[in-house]
Amino acid sequence: MSGNRLKVEDVKVFSDAALGFFAQTTGHKASVRTAYLLDGAGPIVWNDFQGRIELAGRYRGSVTFSAPRGLLTHVLLSIGESDYTDASHRDIVGEIANQMSGQARRHFGEALDISPPRVLSPEEGAASHPAGAVPFVIPMQWERYEAHLVVQMDKEGGTPP
Amino acid sequence: MNAVTLMVVDDSMVFRNRIARLAGDARLGVKVVAQAENGLEAIHQARQHRPDLVTMDLTMPEMDGPACLEALRTVLPGARILVVSALSDRSTALRAMARGAHGFLLKPFSDEQMVESLQELMA
Repeated sequence: MSGNRLKVEDVKVFSDAALGFFAQTTGHKASVRTAYLLDGAGPIVWNDFQGRIELAGRYRGSVTFSAPRGLLTHVLLSIGESDYTDASHRDIVGEIANQMSGQARRHFGEALDISPPRVLSPEEGAASHPAGAVPFVIPMQWERYEAHLVVQMDKEGGTPP
Repeated sequence: MNAVTLMVVDDSMVFRNRIARLAGDARLGVKVVAQAENGLEAIHQARQHRPDLVTMDLTMPEMDGPACLEALRTVLPGARILVVSALSDRSTALRAMARGAHGFLLKPFSDEQMVESLQELMA
């Protein structure tokens, strides 16, 4: 993110989608904590599983939901799933990314092209910072776990920092 | 009395299982006879199992939801189809209905919302 080019409501679309997932799917609400810019020495935000969508059009960049295994295992438990393989954990972050994509399509309309959701490894998440976009991190608390929404969006045609 | 049969179509295994569990709720009396993770598999399973009801996502690999909906209408002209999707704009829902869906449930959904939607589909 460069300067204050991002509109709060444009970022809120993504956090609302993730919050909605927890409230509706598990019956237990998540909460958003204080957001911050992720500079080089920032805390670890790349957890065990990541679901990402990539953006082009009004904004370029990506939005990634990153969660630790324990949180996702607890989600699986809460919805009655008995398969705790990595595939099931990946399904959850992929589904959250899918729901962020759906809400973003509604909010931005044709002004934004959104890629299909992808599930990444932690290494892939950490290694793929687009040039010119400083990540904006929104920590999310669900039960006793912390997940992160990592937003890297810059306006199309914006000046890189 | 024969149980009403259901096919669940979604690229997420976890969410296929979730819908199947909810459909197995004793209030509904639905028997899940097939699951498919993409549109092509859904068509194959539909021919094989002839379900009375189908729940399906719109965003899937191989064959996307709208194309799958049209194909299912041909393969299963009597089946009732519930679209379950995160694509939440009104035009998406209207397009799905125009292609033969009988209901639209927005993701994320609660357990109660899914059970109610299945009840409406069976009414």
